[in-house]
This record gives sequence, C-alpha cells and structure tokens, in this order.
Amino acid sequence: MEDKYSSNVLSGGKLGMVEVPDSRLTRYIVLLVISKVLKALGIFESYDILKVVHIVQFIFILKLGSAVILLFFQKPFSSGKVISKRQWIKLLKHAVFSCVISLLGFFGLTLCGPLRTLLLFEHSDVVVIALLGVLFTNSGGGPSKTRGAAFFIIAVICLLLFDNDDLMAKMAEHPEGHHDSALTHFLYTAIAFLGVADHKGGVVLLVASLCLKVGFHTASRKLSVEIGGAKRLYALDNLVSAMVLLPWVIVLSPTTESKVESWSSLVLPFGMIIFSVMILEFYVEAICCAKMETPRCARYGAIALFLSALLLANFWTHPLTDQLRSIGKPPQQVSTEHVLSGGVLVSAIFFIMSSSILSSPSKKGQKGTLVGYSPEGTPLYNFMGDALQHTSQSLPRFIKDSLKQILEEYDSRQIFYFLCLNLAFTFVELFYGVWTNSLGLISDGFHMLFDCSALVLGLFAALMTRWKATRIFSYGYGRVEILSGFINGLFLMVIAFFVFMESVTRLLDPPNINTDMLTPVSVGGLLVNLVGICAFSHAHSHGGKSCSSQDHGHSHHGHGHGGHGHSHGSGGGGMNANMRGVFLHVLADTLGSVGVIISTILIRQFGWLIADPICSLFIATLIFLSVIPLLKDACEVLLLRTPPEHEKDLNSALEKIEKIEGVLSYRDPHFWRHSANMIAGTIHLQIMSDVVEQRIIQQVTAILKDAGVNNLSVQVEKEAYFQHMSGLSTGFQEVLAMTQQMESMKYLNDGTRIM
Amino acid sequence: MCRCLKKFFFCRLYHTTPLGGSIGQTLPPSPLYILLIGTIHPFRKTHRSIFGKLLQEFRLVASDRRSWRILLFGTLNLLCTGCLLMWCSSTNSMALTAYTYLTIFDLFSLITCLISSWVTMKKPSQVYSFGFERLEVLAVFASTVLVQLGALFILKESVERFMEQPEVHTGRLLVGTFVALFFNLLTLLSVRNKPFAFVSEAASSSWLQEHVADLSRSLCGIIPGLSSVLLPRMNPFVLINVAGALSLCITYMLIEINNYNAVDTASAVAIALMTFGTMYPMSVYSGKVLLQTTPSHIIGQLDKLLREVSTLDGVLEVRNEHFWTVGFGSLAGSAHVRIRRDANEQLVLAHVTNRLLPLVSTLTVQIFKDDWTRPLLTGALTSSSPAAPLGSAEGYSSLSSSLPPLLLSPGSELDPLTSTPSKLSSPPPEFSFDTPGRNVQPMVLPAPGHQAQRPYGGLGLAYGAPPYAGMLGQGLARPGGGLGLGVQGLGAGFGLGMAGSSVPSSQSYRTAFSGSTAPLRFGTSNLLAPQSQYRQYRP
Repeated sequence: MEDKYSSNVLSGGKLGMVEVPDSRLTRYIVLLVISKVLKALGIFESYDILKVVHIVQFIFILKLGSAVILLFFQKPFSSGKVISKRQWIKLLKHAVFSCVISLLGFFGLTLCGPLRTLLLFEHSDVVVIALLGVLFTNSGGGPSKTRGAAFFIIAVICLLLFDNDDLMAKMAEHPEGHHDSALTHFLYTAIAFLGVADHKGGVVLLVASLCLKVGFHTASRKLSVEIGGAKRLYALDNLVSAMVLLPWVIVLSPTTESKVESWSSLVLPFGMIIFSVMILEFYVEAICCAKMETPRCARYGAIALFLSALLLANFWTHPLTDQLRSIGKPPQQVSTEHVLSGGVLVSAIFFIMSSSILSSPSKKGQKGTLVGYSPEGTPLYNFMGDALQHTSQSLPRFIKDSLKQILEEYDSRQIFYFLCLNLAFTFVELFYGVWTNSLGLISDGFHMLFDCSALVLGLFAALMTRWKATRIFSYGYGRVEILSGFINGLFLMVIAFFVFMESVTRLLDPPNINTDMLTPVSVGGLLVNLVGICAFSHAHSHGGKSCSSQDHGHSHHGHGHGGHGHSHGSGGGGMNANMRGVFLHVLADTLGSVGVIISTILIRQFGWLIADPICSLFIATLIFLSVIPLLKDACEVLLLRTPPEHEKDLNSALEKIEKIEGVLSYRDPHFWRHSANMIAGTIHLQIMSDVVEQRIIQQVTAILKDAGVNNLSVQVEKEAYFQHMSGLSTGFQEVLAMTQQMESMKYLNDGTRIM
Repeated sequence: MCRCLKKFFFCRLYHTTPLGGSIGQTLPPSPLYILLIGTIHPFRKTHRSIFGKLLQEFRLVASDRRSWRILLFGTLNLLCTGCLLMWCSSTNSMALTAYTYLTIFDLFSLITCLISSWVTMKKPSQVYSFGFERLEVLAVFASTVLVQLGALFILKESVERFMEQPEVHTGRLLVGTFVALFFNLLTLLSVRNKPFAFVSEAASSSWLQEHVADLSRSLCGIIPGLSSVLLPRMNPFVLINVAGALSLCITYMLIEINNYNAVDTASAVAIALMTFGTMYPMSVYSGKVLLQTTPSHIIGQLDKLLREVSTLDGVLEVRNEHFWTVGFGSLAGSAHVRIRRDANEQLVLAHVTNRLLPLVSTLTVQIFKDDWTRPLLTGALTSSSPAAPLGSAEGYSSLSSSLPPLLLSPGSELDPLTSTPSKLSSPPPEFSFDTPGRNVQPMVLPAPGHQAQRPYGGLGLAYGAPPYAGMLGQGLARPGGGLGLGVQGLGAGFGLGMAGSSVPSSQSYRTAFSGSTAPLRFGTSNLLAPQSQYRQYRP
C-alpha cells in the first residue's frame, strides 16, 4: 500500500521507468535515423512526382507496389489463421479509411510542399495523443506537457501566420477550374470557400488529417489483433486499398489526359518512394518500437525527420522535376515555391521541441494530498479528489441544465435575455463591419463584447448565488453576488478611467471624426440599452430581496423608478449588489450612446470637434460618480460592517437583551450582513448561575430575529464557564485573564453593574 | 431620470472638489480612494469634516517613520508611471502599455501597504466590530482585480490591433522597459509589503510559477547551487516583471531586425495573459476570504478538532459550523453544539471552547438542548439540600461531603430512560466526566480517563491536567475533598426537578439552581433517571 503511494508520488528518476542507456541501442537508433532521412527524401520526391502524376493514380501505384512487396515478405494468405467474411468487411472499411487519409495527406503535400507536410503530418501517435490529452482533459501530466502543447500550437500558428510562402504567386497560379479531377476540384473549392490561401488551407487540412490518422491508428489496433499482427494487417490493407482504388483509376485514366511522357522514367522514383515511405519506415518503426520504448522512438524519429527535412528543403533543387519538365514544358520559376522562410524555421524548431517534450515519458506528478506519515517516516498521500472529479457530465447536458437554472429565477433570466440581445447586436455589428470592411464598426463590436463580459459575470454570479452551501462555503453562496457587484463597480471605474484618459488626450488634440457610421450604430446601441434599462429597473421593483443599500436619499441609483419610495419603509424592494452593478453597466453604456449622438449632432451642425472629448469627459465623470455608492455599499458588506439599516434595531435589541432577567452583561456582539437576505450575528452573554441557558438563548434569539438577524449564535456563559476555562487553559496569561473575568463577574453578581 | 442624474452629479461635484485636491488629482481611481470613501462616508457630513478626517488619518499613518519610505516610493512610482505613459503614447506600443500597468499595480500595492499600516493602528469600532483587518484583504483583492481588468482592456485593444497593425517606434521601447523593470524591482525588494507577501505565499501558484518551477527543477539538476534561488517557487511579482521585460526585449529585437510590428501586439497579449495568470490565484484567495469561506488548508485540522469535540462526553452533534478568516490568518467561527439533556452546558462549553480556541481566535459556541422544557425527572424531589454557595469549588466540597458516595453504584445499573440516543457504537470518549470507579482518586478530576484514552497526543492542544487539578484542588482539598465526583449526581435531580415545575419567580430559580448547577456539571448519574451512556462502563 505504502509502496504504491510513494512510488506514485516521488517523481524522482530512480523510481520511475528504467531507461536503457543509449549505447546499447545505438544500432536501432542509427537505423531509425537512416529510415527517417530516407522517408524525408521520399516525400520530397513524391512531391515532385505529384506535379505530373494524378494523385489517385499515385496513391494507387504506391499501394499496389507496397502490397506486392509485402505479400512477398509477409505471405498473409499462406500463413496465419483464415480470415472470416466479417473480418474481410472490416478490412474493407479499414482500407477505405486509410485511402482517404493518404489522399488527404498527399493532397496536403501538393498544397504546402514537402517540408511543411513533414513538419505537420509526420508526428507519431504518442505525441498527438499527449497533445490532445493536454488540450481536452485537465490531467495532462504537469506543466511540461502544457508547455509542449503550447509549443505545438505556436508552431502551427507560425506556419499559418508568419510563413509567407509566395502566396501571391500560388494564388495566381491556381485559377479555379483547371484541376485535374473532381476530387481535387472539390477540395480546392472547399479551401477557397474558407477564404484562406492555398498553403494555409493545406496547413489546416494537414492538421485535421493528422488527428484523423491518429484516431484511425488507435481504432485499427483491435482489428490488427483480430487479423493476427500489425504486419499482416498492413499487407492486407495495402492490397485491399489498391483494389478499392482500382476502379477509380480505371475510370480516371481515359478521361484525363496524362501529363506523363514516359512512365518508364518514373519507375525508379516510384520504387524509391515505395521502398522508403511505405516499406522501410514501417519495418524499422516496428523493430524500434519493440526494442526501445515508443516515446523514445518517437523522439529520435521526429528529430531526425525534421532535421533532414530542413536540410533537404535547403538543398533540394528539384532535379527530378526539372528533368521531367524539360521534356515537356520549358522550366518555370519552380524553384522559388515552398522555400524556407523565417516562419518555417521557427516553427520547425518549435515542432522539434514540442515533440521531444510531448513524447518524453510523463513523470507522474499526480496531485495528492498529504494525509500523514507512515511509521517508517515516508509521506502518505491521498488521491481521492482526482478520481472523483472525472465523473463530470457531458457538455450538452451541462448547458441544458444551466440554461434551465438560469431561466428559473427572475434576475438571472433578465440578465440572460439582455445578454442574448446584446450579443446578437454585437454580432450583427461585427458581421456588418466585416462585410463592409469598416474598422470602426468592428472595433465597436469588440467594445460591446468587452462590455458583455460584465454581463456574463453578473449572470454567473446570479447563478452561483443559488448553489447549495458546501463545506467551504458554509453560509452558502449568497455573498458571491456582492463580490460580483464590487467587481462590476471596479470594472466601471476602469472604464471611466480609460474614457477619461482618452478624452483628455483628445481634448489636447481633437482628431477628425468620420461621423457617417456613428449615428445608426449609436442609435442601435441606445435602443438595445434602453431595453436593458427598462428590464432591469423593472427587476428593481420586483427584486423582493432586501437591499444592501440603505439610506437611499444618499446612495443614489441614478434612476427615478418607483423602488425608492418603498425601500425606505420595509427595508426591502431594492436591488441586490449584483443587479445594481449590471444595471449601472447598462446605464453607462446608454450614457455612452447618448453622448455619441449628442456629439455627432454638434459636430455635424456646428463643426465643434471638441464636443466629442467634452462629452466623453462628462460621461466618464458621471459613470465614476454613479458607481461610488455601489462600491461603498459593497465595501461595507465585505468589511463586515454592522448593516446600517438595522443599526438602530440592533442597538435597541441589545438594550433589551441586557434587560432580560438573569443576564448580567454581553460581550463581543458581532452583526454583519452576509448576503442579500442573510444577516449573521454572534454574541456572548454572561448570565447568572441560576438561570437556564436554553431559555436565555430562546429569548435572545427571538429578540434578535425581530431586529433582522437570521443566522445567530449565542454563547451563554456562567461563572462556572470561566472557572473551567481557567482550569483548562495552560498558559499563565490565560489563567490570569480568565480569573480576572471571573472576578469581574463575581463583582457583577453582587449587584453592582458596570455596563 | 436625467434630472435626477444631473442633480446627483452637481451635488456630488461640490463635495468631491476638496477630495480631488488631496489625492483625487494625483491618483486615478485608486483603491485607497475607494476604500476610504467606503469607510469614512465622505458625503454624509460637510466637506470640511471629510477633509479633516482624511487628513487626520493620513497624519496618523504618516506619524510612523516606516510609512515615509512607502510614500517616497509612491511618489517615485508616480513619476515613473507618468513617464512611462508618455513613452507609451510616443512609441505607440501596446506591449509597453501592458508593462506599464504592472507599474501601476506596484502603486496599488504600495497603497495597500499604507492601508495595512493604518489598519494596525486602528481599533475595532462599534460598527466595524471585527476591526479593520479586512480592509487589507479588500485592498489586495481590489488591486489584483483592477490589474486584471486592465489586462482585459489590453486584450481587447490587442484584438483590435491585430486587424490593423499600426507602426511601433522602437526609440523609447527598450529604455522604458528597463526603467520600468528597475523601478518595479526596486519597489518590490525594498518595501516590505506584508499583505502581498502573505497572499503570494498562501495563494496557489500561478501557471507562470509552475512552469518556471518545472524548468528550474531540471536546471537545478545540472547546477545544484541555483536551487536556493529558484526552487520552491519564485516570487510571482519578480517573475512577471522579469518575464514581461524579457518579452519586451524580444519584441524590440524582432521589430528592429525584421520589422514585425505584429510581435508587439502578440507580446502585449502574452504580458496580459501572464498578468492574468499571476493575479488570478491571489484574487481568488483574497476573494475567498471576503466571501467568508473556510480556508481549505485549515479544513483538515478543523475536522480533526470537530471530531474531537463530538467525542466529548455529552456532545451529540456539532452543526451549523461556520469558520472563516477575518483578516489574513486570524480565524473566526461559530458552531452549534447539541448536547444530551442531562449534560452540563457550561462544562461542555468550556471544553469545546478550549479545544477550538487555539485555532479559532474569535469563537462563539451555542449550546443546544432538545426539549429542555420537559422535566428530566418524573418525580421532583423536594430539595432539602442547602442552598449551596455559588462557586463550583464550594459546590464540590459541600456536596461531596454531604452525600455518601455509595449512592452511585446502584444508579448506574438502573434501566435507562433516555431522551436522547446514546452513543453505543462510538469510540469511548476521550475523557468522561463521571465514570464511576475511575474517579476514586480525589484530586485529579477528569484527568485519568483523559490521559488514558487520548488519541491525539501531539496536537498542541495540551490539555493541562495539572493546572486544572491545581485550581480546583483548592476547593476539593477542603473538608470533604477526596470523594468521588459522581456523587453530585443527586444534585441534578433536584435542579431539574425544579426546572420541570418551571416556576417563574426568580427567587425560586436562584435557590433551586444555585444548588444544582454545580452538580449538574457532572450530574449524569442521578438516582431516578439514570442515563444510558453508562452502559459501556458497566461491569
């Protein structure tokens, strides 16, 4: 038991997997490196061949050639058990899938060149599975894996964004409609529809097909066991896929005119490709995986492959293409395409790093809680939490549940509807901005999105408020909405600050403003926000919960709806802090729209450019001032102030408590508002020795309940308590303190009251 | 609505002007400003008094020499921030702006430091009965949240910049970076910032810290000497400052060499994300304190104590337990303890308090009994016992001397008539107040049972048996001392018998109860209605 724990936790190398030293494996490593270099060579060659040979024909030849060789080596029919009919059907499916994947892979090759294909497509399964594990599950295996995943993503992004791969030339070279087959035409149109350049489309395609490939490999593992070994499966698969492709090739060959002058000159390159890409790599990988661990195999293989690809990309001068093309057409500017660029170099470095990180065996740094020490002194850990967390529900169900919860309550429903409205407006704005290519609209859309984050916060807080109390949140989650109100207040402060700064800089140097687009957008925004204001001020009078603000004459909401009138009376009817925060946010937005409209009118009518900064200055001040009461109230609650609206009641209640028969005095009265509808309190009472404690507790509880305290703890102390405490306490000081308290109580008992 | 706003605005404007003179102008909406407004209610009184009050508090803080240093650094920081903001607009660099926000955060942390020194001088007032320690927490929370909101703003701006990348002038970029780095590190390392130091220690580590720790672990494998600097985890503020400066340097290089202006935006995003990562755990920690939650690192210890409490004799259950932190570190809490009807409330209270007090400094324990109005005894004895003096010491001596100890043993064998479920399956109590046969030794009260069966020896809750005995020994050593404690069981019968009749006159209460409370403490073995908890001790 204990051994198990400690071996899991101590991540030192001694207890983990024992790695064989490299020196014993040199043979295999060299073999692996050579096979990878050859594979890179083969891919480079096949890129050149693919320029003249149709992709389906190419794959057909590849599969057929390797099937013939493998049949010769493996003898799948003469050895092993007989394959049943059902297995043949499975094999057929398998072959179709493998055809699709190799089609996608080689199509990506034609799009983005051999180097980028090698970088993107030739990752081992271990790496990709680790990557997906980091991205989609929480227990990725420590920060190093996360780093590896981040490197991988950065590398892909580098390829996508910073790799200017003669884009314009490629784009010009591919006028639509000149493609060889329906398949490539379809893929091209799909990529063109996405609106990205060809090679970027190729990058996306390759990443997608990489994931497909890994999934396919994982799924085919079971079949390979059924058939009787991976090698036999591979041989049969090649054969079947060649047969699957055969009809297509037959249909294809008469319909498209072949660009190939002589097939005989292609025999050697094809043989080379079949040998290096299909056969040698497969066998070497199988051997190496058997002799070394898979992760190490993947690491060395990836490094060798990527480095050789980089080298080849630098020195590859398209000898074969030139030779082939020189027969038919005059040589073009071929040598300039898919050259090395800075982006590719960076991404290659990142790919190498990420694959070496991701394929390194994860040192089990599991999170355990220390529960104690064993008799021998080794630490014991508990791994309960991790296992329990994994029983999470599925995403759609979670969304459905939370939607249901949101729609249950009035507050959250209001926020949710308004959020939807706001988001809809934002997206309309964004789409229209993209459509008309207007930057102002797009940036305004992003601004709206930024504002929506406050709404999301409010919604989440309103949802959380109703969660059940837990061990950690022992009072329940009601206080969350006060905190969210506080954060929203800070948010508004920040917004006011930025608007203020911006308007000050504009005041010094008023820029020219294009007012064309402003009016419709701001009017739209105003309408949306007015709806929000109506909704939320309606919520205000409905709110029902007692208000954390008091003293409304002073803490001003900035809107004259009926809520104020009765909030004086019963102490209820106000909004909670969360809703107030959201409301103020909407109000600030409305003010912004109004300000924009006014300044637009002024600029149009009179040409006062300075109107805009002055307006925004005014708005910033207004937002700032309107948010202060909210912040003040939230601060008071968070600082555990005695609720001001109950202060008077509480004082009179305390007086009443003092007058209860048998009560000598009280100390440490703490009353504070915990959440919108909970006021908590604790108090210590000293009573005479001859009074029943429970009766006092009952009376005190009743009195304080009248004063509004609904979560109360009363500690009733008699003189005996202090005696016990002084007996129990160890330190001299404590004994002294307790005796003093006892003395004073005795003194009180004698009838002279101090307090 | 509009009119209201205007009125509101104008009346506020008047009041805020003097404030603006003091700090409002020099500082943008700073947490100090917010918080002071929160605590001092500036708008309720005339502006003179606000100003005066603020000045008074300020003088109070400034009277301490240590805060001069903070103020000095604050002004330096302000200068630096102003400079940096100017450079930001001149270089047009988003990354430098993001880095400048870290400088502004340093300003916030200095203000937090001032607040924390103010807090230590303040006593709890009547309305803020817990004291002002929470102000520290609130200041930490507000400053971390403000910086995160700034980072959010940076993210939003960067998204806009990705669409149309303006040109970045690198002239002041590197200078600004190093000035900011220098001042930040100077402030961090020379001002002792108690609240932030505590939070950065206590909060869970950010992703930045985790990655650096992971890297440095492998680095320390090569150079073991570095482990003292790098290993457990680095100071998050130093880390983010250095990392931000590093990314700005990379930005500078790439812009200079390749003219990649987009790198500036990317590094702004990176700095914003790092800011999020660094500040998020701290704001979660301080936010949890503000939400009055039980700190999760305490829970284990607390559970242990509550288990101990529930094994005390007479305790049936502990419920409604709320434990939370007032400021950084000091725990407050309340709990309701349900006890058996015949258990002594004050003794249980004392023991429960004694258990929890070392951990929970502000503690309230409510003792709770089921149907306490119902009489415990069926036949009320007409008390003939003398109205015992109040002190328990006297109570012990008088009762133990007046009652023969023989009454005990039959009592424990009578059929139980329980009102509350007994704890048969529970482990034996750590100490029992009244185990017959154990308390034959006179002086040591519950000590034998306690010492024999105490599982948690080294918890730091050393229950001082000797002093207890010593204190009460004074009483017990008097005439009748030396007789068992169980004797007092009879007294309980008297007391509760009287309670059952529930005479409202206080005089009768006094006579009846003063005689019985002392025995009630151990009064679990009365003759007429013995309780079942003795079963486990039955021979």
